This record gives sequence, structure tokens and C-alpha cells, in this order.
Amino acid sequence: MRTFIKVAMAATVALAALAAAAPSMAQDKTIRMWTFLNPTGTAPREVALAKIIENYEAANPGTKILVETQVWDQMTPKFLSAHATGNAPDVIWVVTDFLGDAIKSGSLADLNELFIKDWSAEQLADNAGAYWDLSLVDGKQHSIFVSRNYISLMYRKDLFEEAGIDPTSLTTWEAFHDAAQALTVKDAAGQVTRYGFATGFSEQQADPSPILPPMLAAGIEPFNADGTANFANAKGVEAMTLLTDMVKEGISPAQAATWTVDDMFEQFASDRVAMIQGPAVRVSTLQAKLGADKVGLMMWPGDGVAAHSPAVMAGWAVGVWSGSPIKQEAGNFVEYMLGSEADKIWVTDGGQVPGLQSTLTELADFIAQPGNEYLAVAAEGSAKFGWLTPIDFAVGGYRQAINKAAQRVLVEGVDVETALKDAEVEFNRQNNR
Amino acid sequence: MHSRLTGVSYVLPAFAVLTLVLFSPVFYGLWFSLFRIQYGAPTDFIGLGNFARLFEDPALGGTLRRTLVFTSFSVAITIVIALALSVWIHKLPPKRGFVVQMIVIIPWIISTVVATLLFRWVFVNDIGLAISLARAAGFGEIHLLNDPNSAMALLISVSVWKRIGYAVIIILAGLKSIPDDYEEAASLDGATAWQVFRMITLPLLKTPLLLVTIVLTLSNINTVETPLVLTGGGPGSATRILPIEVFDRAFVTYDLGSATALALVMFFGNVLLVLGYVRLAKWKA
Repeated sequence: MRTFIKVAMAATVALAALAAAAPSMAQDKTIRMWTFLNPTGTAPREVALAKIIENYEAANPGTKILVETQVWDQMTPKFLSAHATGNAPDVIWVVTDFLGDAIKSGSLADLNELFIKDWSAEQLADNAGAYWDLSLVDGKQHSIFVSRNYISLMYRKDLFEEAGIDPTSLTTWEAFHDAAQALTVKDAAGQVTRYGFATGFSEQQADPSPILPPMLAAGIEPFNADGTANFANAKGVEAMTLLTDMVKEGISPAQAATWTVDDMFEQFASDRVAMIQGPAVRVSTLQAKLGADKVGLMMWPGDGVAAHSPAVMAGWAVGVWSGSPIKQEAGNFVEYMLGSEADKIWVTDGGQVPGLQSTLTELADFIAQPGNEYLAVAAEGSAKFGWLTPIDFAVGGYRQAINKAAQRVLVEGVDVETALKDAEVEFNRQNNR
Repeated sequence: MHSRLTGVSYVLPAFAVLTLVLFSPVFYGLWFSLFRIQYGAPTDFIGLGNFARLFEDPALGGTLRRTLVFTSFSVAITIVIALALSVWIHKLPPKRGFVVQMIVIIPWIISTVVATLLFRWVFVNDIGLAISLARAAGFGEIHLLNDPNSAMALLISVSVWKRIGYAVIIILAGLKSIPDDYEEAASLDGATAWQVFRMITLPLLKTPLLLVTIVLTLSNINTVETPLVLTGGGPGSATRILPIEVFDRAFVTYDLGSATALALVMFFGNVLLVLGYVRLAKWKA
């Protein structure tokens, strides 16, 4: 009996303590966020994210941001599945190729209702642009882009200088080819020790193929209005022929047939390639490895008429899950993460292209510093020479289909037009079109 | 009656866990596969529509053939090498045997992704150690992943290298369980070493070999990490096997309906394979 009384008393005290703690526990909010960045990592963008989270948590006691790092190319499909099962994170980073699916699925809350409704006209104008418009559907702002990947030509400044080539002279595809040839170096045995240009043709971790800029420059869209593929047009065949011929000529590496994006960056950082296709967001990471004075970004060559061909602009749009029980809190964090203060952190610490016009102006001196010119290149390119994948229909798999066509040309010796036509068939079949 | 209930109560927790982690996803998958999937959620009931679409895919036959080639070669080579290694280790002095065993096991105990990346960096990557040494030795440029046949051979090699440790452990355990008397008696009767191995050791290893065959088959036929990291299914479709097909349908084109249907077909294929193996070996529990 005595023991029973002791246990009962202990239970009463524990319950009272829990009840006393309840109000403070109720104030604590944990906002779950899925992103491919790891805030404990050391890459520039990871450092920037950690700083932004730290600042936000310091300014909002009781709010915790729980980052659940995901593999980037699987994250958005996983989010859509999680939305369907009612277990998605409060904040999600959505990749451009799946943005249409995310919007149509109703998985993204209207940010107008959460915070944009309170913005001034200046704030709205500060955000205006193609990226903003992409996720504005039926008057609802489903997401805002946090990362603008301007995928164009990354080059080694030191190697260009050594070869006496001015990057601004690459205004046509012929000039690009000749520069790549001049930058290719062979040893005494005739083996290539450095290639002029490389792009990864693997189906895994695939970036958009460089055959798209020449197509887009000619006004040809890679998709028809009904969402079917349009890769095997005359310009697409011409561009793929140029790319694969560069491999056959030894200007581009044959082994790139199986290179992923990460393989390509490793080769670039190891002095094995002078120019690669790469996104602006990776420049800072490579500069951290090689030195800011060695890595630059330029726009794609033009077609003789326009100064530059449009680059594919991918990117990550941030939204709030429509099913989140803490939509408002999640919205507040998203507003901060994409706001003026955080945008500067993304640029200065993360090496990202500014998202706001005001950041571009306010950080003009920073952007003008040696090594940071790529930010201006990407900003100008995004404004004048960019193309965003359509969101009216799903385009998942188009990068892989075109890369596979390139592999077949290089490895199986398939004719370029046939390979691209087969890629169209495969893409259409995969997407039930 | 009382004892029967007691028995049931013993297996009930295990059955409940199995139902939760194994059977429920299968039943959910079955139900899921009967619907048109839009944005990750089931919409219209289409019966076997998702399965029918699989058979309309002209490339799936080739993927199945490559899966069978990859699995059968990987399993057969792993077992042959593991058997030879096990017999050798079994005959080594205990200390040396232990060291060799540890070396053989290392690839198995490290993560598949890490192991495959290591393999890629050392043997395949353009800036890898092995390729650099080959170049320095005057072999010129070697691009193993660019040729469909060498890419598949490389994929099989990685699979063998990665899983051989597991096979050695099981077979070695089987060898250690065979009493020395049998071998000694056979030797006294004049049997050669090869005859002892073929007529005594091998038959007594039937159970561990069957176990290894089943586990290796299932593990190879379902592996997605190794081909994904090593070859990405390329060049072309040369190393595109069923698990990559499921992965791409689910995460690249986001066609969850056919991805689920294909995953289920693979699941039931796995079950049939296990039943077939057990029946072939006339294994009695």
C-alpha cells in the first residue's frame, strides 16, 4: 500500500510538471523542410542555408527549422507521393521539371494568402521576372524561386588566358568549336591530357542537353503544344551532330558518354577539361576548389543573329505544402528565406545569382569583384537569354531521353536523326503521349 | 487447445511485424496498381491497365533479358569464386585464414553506394588510379564503360566483388560444420582430394549453397544502387536492368502506376524463384 501511495504521488508530480510545461511546449513549432542542401555541410550554398536558418531561429524563438536533406533528383517526385499520402514536409523545394505537376496536384499553398497579400508594389516589382511568372497560375503564387540555375558554359579562365583566347569571342558555334579545339592538349604520345569541352551524357543526374540552346535560338521549342517531343528537328540534328563530332574529333572526351554531372565537375577541377556545360549555382563550389580567379561563366554562343543562344534555366522553387498544419508559420519562414536579407546571404555566402532586383543593385560592388562576374552573367542571361521548361505538361525524362540519344550515336554508331527520333518516341511513350 | 494457443501467441508478434513491414506494402501496392495514378494519388480504377502498359513497352523484353544475364552471371561467378576461396581459407592456419577472411569480407560490409563509387573512382574514372597506371604502362586510353559488353562485364564484376564476402561466410560456416572424420575416412578408402570434394564436401554443402544462391539471386535481381552509380543503365541501354527501369519510371518520368506494376511483377517473380530453388533442391525444413 505504501508503495502504491509513493507511485501515485510520483505520477501526480510528473503530471503537474508536464501540465506546467505544456504552454511553453505548445509555443514550440517545428517546420519540416525538404531540400537537397545539408545545412551542416561546407559547400557555399549549404553554409548560406545554415546562416539563414540560424538568423530566422534567433529572430523567432520557439521556432525550429528541421531540414530533411534529400537526393535532389528524387526529391520532388517523393514530395508529390508524400502529398498524396498526407505526410509531406511543411516547406518544399520543387525542381523546375516537376513544378507543373506540383501545382496541378494542389500540393502547394497559395503564397498570396500567406504573405504576398501584405507586400508593397515595390516588393512585387523587386521579384518580377520569368521565374516569378512561371509559378503564378490562375492568380495564385504557388512558389517562389530560391535558386536560379542558368545552365550555360563554365570555363577555366587560366586555361583560356594561357591559350590566348578571349571568352567574349565565342559568339558563334563555329568559334566555340574552334576554341575547344585550341584548348585541347595532347602529350608526346598523342594522348589527350586536356579536352576543350565536355558535357555529361549519362542518364543519371542529367543536365539539359547542349543541343537545346541552338534549337531555342532558332525559335524551335523542344516540345510541341500537346507536350510531345520535338527533338529531331533540323536544328536539333545539327546541334547533336556538332556535339558528337567534337567527341569523334577528340575535342570532347568519349568517356563522357557515361559521365554524370558530378563526374564532369571532377574532371573540370582536375584540369582535364577547359570548358563544360554547367549551372551558375555550381560556380562558387568550383571556385572554392580551384580559386575564384580560375572559374568563369559565359553565355552560350549565338547563331550569328542574336548575340547568345538561350540557356535552359532550371532552378528550385520553394513552396509551402497545402496540407501543412502550420502553413502560416511555414509561410513566414519561406518569406524570410526568399526575402531581401536572405537573398544577400544567398549571393554573398552561397554564390547564387540574385533573386531580387534590389540585391543586384545593392550588391553591385560585390558582384563587380574579380571572381564574381559570373553572377552578372547569369543575371543578364536569365533576363535576356533564358528558357524555362513549360509547366503545362510534365517534361520529366526529356533530359535523359536526349542524353541516351547522344550515347547511342557515340557508342552504337546510330545515325543522329534516328537516335533523336527514337528519343522522341521513348519520351512520348514514357509520358503516355 | 491450450498449448496451441500458446504456440500462436509466440508467433503472433513476429507475424504482426511481418504483416506491417512486408505484407501491407504488397497489398497496398496491389491496390495502388489497379488505379490510374495522377500526381502520386490513385484516381480512376483501371483494373490491369498498368500491367497491360508494361507489355506494350517494346524495350521491356530487352531489359528483362539483360536482368537475367546480369543476375545469372553474377550469382554463378560469385558462388564459384566464393566456394574456391572458402575451401582455401578452410585449409589455411587459423590466423592466416582469419586475415584472408577479413579482407574478403570488406567489400560486403561497406555501403553499396560507397563500394561502387570506390570501384568507379579507382578502376573506371578517367582520373582513376587503375586507368592512370594503365596509361602509364602504355595501354593507351581505356574506356570500359563506353562499350556495351565491357560495361555489363564491369557491372557483373562489381556485383561479384561486393557480394563475395557474404557467400564466403556462409559457405565457410558450412565447411566448418562438416566433421573431419568423413574426409579422413574417404582418404583412408583411397579417394583423391577432388573425389573427396565432389562426393563428400559438395553434397554436404547443399544447404548453405542453396541459401547463398537464393540470397544472391534476390540481391542481384533487385539491386538498383550498383547499376545506378556505376553505369546509369548505359551506354545506351546496355546495362539497363529491371530495378533501374522501376526507379526511372518512379523518379524520372514519375509514372508511379507502371512503376508499381513492374515492381509487383518483380516481387512475384522473386517469390517464384525462391519456390523454384527450394523445390529443385528438394529442401526440407
